[in-house]
Amino acid sequence: MKGKHFLILALAFLMLVPGFIFAQPAAEASKASTMRLAWWGNPTRDERTYKAVEMFQAAYPEITIETETTGWGGYWDKMNTQAAAGSLPDLMQHDYAYMLQWVQRNQLADLTPYVQKGIIDLSKINESFLSGGRVDGKLYGISLGTNAVCLTYDPAVLAKAGIAEPDSTTWTWADFERIALEIYRKTGVQTIPFFTTDPKVGFDNMIRQTGKATYGKTGLGFTDPSVLREFYAIQLRLLDAGALIRPEIAFVSVSPEEGAFAKGQSWVEFIWSNQYVSTQAAAKRPLKLALLPNIKGATAKGTFLKPSMFFSIPASAENPEAAAKFLNYFLNDLSVNDFLMGERGVPIPDDVREHMATKVDTINKQIFEYISLASKNAGPIDAPDPAGSGEFLKMVRDVTQEILLKRVSLDEGVSRLMTRGNQILK
Amino acid sequence: MKQLSARKRAWMDDFSGYAFISPWLIGFFAFSIIPILFSLYYSFTKYDILGDPVFNGLENFRTMATDELFWQSLKVTFFYAFVSVPLRLIFAFFVAMLFNRGTRAIRVYQAIYYVPSLVGGSIAVAVMWRRLFMADGALNAALAKIGIVTDVSWIGDPNTAIWTLIILAIWQFGSSMLIFLAGLRQIPKELYEAASIDGAGALRKFSHITVPQITPVIFFNLVMQLINGFTVFTQAFVVSGGSGDPLNSTLVYALYLYQRAFKYYDMGYSSAMAWVLVLIIGLMTGIVFKTSSSWVFYEAKEGK
Repeated sequence: MKGKHFLILALAFLMLVPGFIFAQPAAEASKASTMRLAWWGNPTRDERTYKAVEMFQAAYPEITIETETTGWGGYWDKMNTQAAAGSLPDLMQHDYAYMLQWVQRNQLADLTPYVQKGIIDLSKINESFLSGGRVDGKLYGISLGTNAVCLTYDPAVLAKAGIAEPDSTTWTWADFERIALEIYRKTGVQTIPFFTTDPKVGFDNMIRQTGKATYGKTGLGFTDPSVLREFYAIQLRLLDAGALIRPEIAFVSVSPEEGAFAKGQSWVEFIWSNQYVSTQAAAKRPLKLALLPNIKGATAKGTFLKPSMFFSIPASAENPEAAAKFLNYFLNDLSVNDFLMGERGVPIPDDVREHMATKVDTINKQIFEYISLASKNAGPIDAPDPAGSGEFLKMVRDVTQEILLKRVSLDEGVSRLMTRGNQILK
Repeated sequence: MKQLSARKRAWMDDFSGYAFISPWLIGFFAFSIIPILFSLYYSFTKYDILGDPVFNGLENFRTMATDELFWQSLKVTFFYAFVSVPLRLIFAFFVAMLFNRGTRAIRVYQAIYYVPSLVGGSIAVAVMWRRLFMADGALNAALAKIGIVTDVSWIGDPNTAIWTLIILAIWQFGSSMLIFLAGLRQIPKELYEAASIDGAGALRKFSHITVPQITPVIFFNLVMQLINGFTVFTQAFVVSGGSGDPLNSTLVYALYLYQRAFKYYDMGYSSAMAWVLVLIIGLMTGIVFKTSSSWVFYEAKEGK
């Protein structure tokens, strides 16, 4: 009888054995020679990053890297959960929009000690590329590439309409509107609403031209809504003329291939420069890049150089030294950048950028040239997005649709955006 | 001495029983009970995931009263549940009736008709749904073929977008259909034979035999599908790309809850929302149970 009980118990414990087995590698992973690396990406980026990891491990055989990658959406769910659980990786890709919130909650480590120890070499990097990663003088992230907002257009459509290509350093929104109307009149090609995924990016550029910022210390950073009003007024005028793609079509979230621009229904699309490769691939025709138009009586530069993404070391990292070594290798090594090919944005060390400029294909060359044009026409970057920005962006997108769908009048929509904005960002 | 060993043996019996179900117990506590208790606690706190939760009493519940999107999401969810659940059940019932004839290929058909239930939440379906209901999508192309030329973007117009999700829900009728089919098979043949002898037509047999006999199954399906309807998430998430577009017309409750938690770092508020949803579902289910005695027919109760 006793023997039987023993057998039953033993069997029961046997069932728990898989648990112990699975727990085993996790315990081993915390050894000093292993680090975890996480990024959000796409198949191209993943492939190039795996290659970089492989090359690093060949150069530093004592360090093993475990990788985690997902798309943008899932990435932040995962990282937030890991932050709550205290199990963040040693090195993670970070974004300007979330950096401040993470720093304020003490989730990220200051990288300055690693720079001082010589593990991370920043000697070939201009300070203007680093400032985006600084909060209160401390360095919390190193930019993996430079990005700038831009407008891409189809030169063939302009030629067909007999319109000269604009000089994008001097053109105004009035020019833009005139061109859009003329193109529609002569070719029937329409204009897509401005920045449908994130309309704030569009009017932010205009507000910056007045010397103000969208976000203030508390609430909105501007009080005069006239520029904001103009942002929507232009689109409503185009809509009434039939020249704007209807919001019911433009605001459906689709892949680049399904978008109105790729299908040739719009002559223009508003993007970030690091989206140019995929936009071009979807459009399958020659495109050009231009700066956003100027507002009347601009007093400052609307465009700014934005770190496309960062590498940051979480405060809870178990192996920050290895993470710093990989970061330095990823940033400065010429041979690894031959594989990365500026996919995350135009590289920030001078020597890497010069080296890359000779190697990239025509599409990437256009981006490099655009970034150099933008850097000559850029103002300083605004402070990182405050808490509540996620909700603000959502509200902006909602109100934008309400205005363009004519559910609310222009004035009502703009005043709602101002009031709700100040409430959310208080 | 003997008594003690008997007690010991009883204890051993109990223990080995629990040890055997321990994998399930551990899972139940670690992945259900503990998270549920935590979410109850979080619902009374301000918790941004990255920091520590701070107790703030009933503040989250008070905020809901003035949160426009909260009411919008409730409106969308109630509309979705009250329209899609009856339609799905009627459709499932109808298809089950067809299959009850019993052709030989029935199992193949069952499998085929069950497929939408399996793939309904996948990205591929989201892409397909967009292609179907876009302004230049397949639906408008088909309409143009029969002479109705329209360029309505069914999926982009706030007035019609929710219907694309309702159609998706109806399309996923598989599991309800299988349960109906099992129910139909249980109805004694003698009832129909007797009715035929009495001269009842097909319609009368349907309304006086099939429907009353199947009411317990309708009841079961109604409760299950109501719960499903109120907690709908995946379909809305994939079709709108996680946004609830256009203009929050597909912002179902669970999607808004998700946005609150993981986009706006507002875990406390979304936990509170989750508990409100529990109350709503409890209430709806309660109402269905209360009314069931007047329309659900149980054979065992007969004659009492």
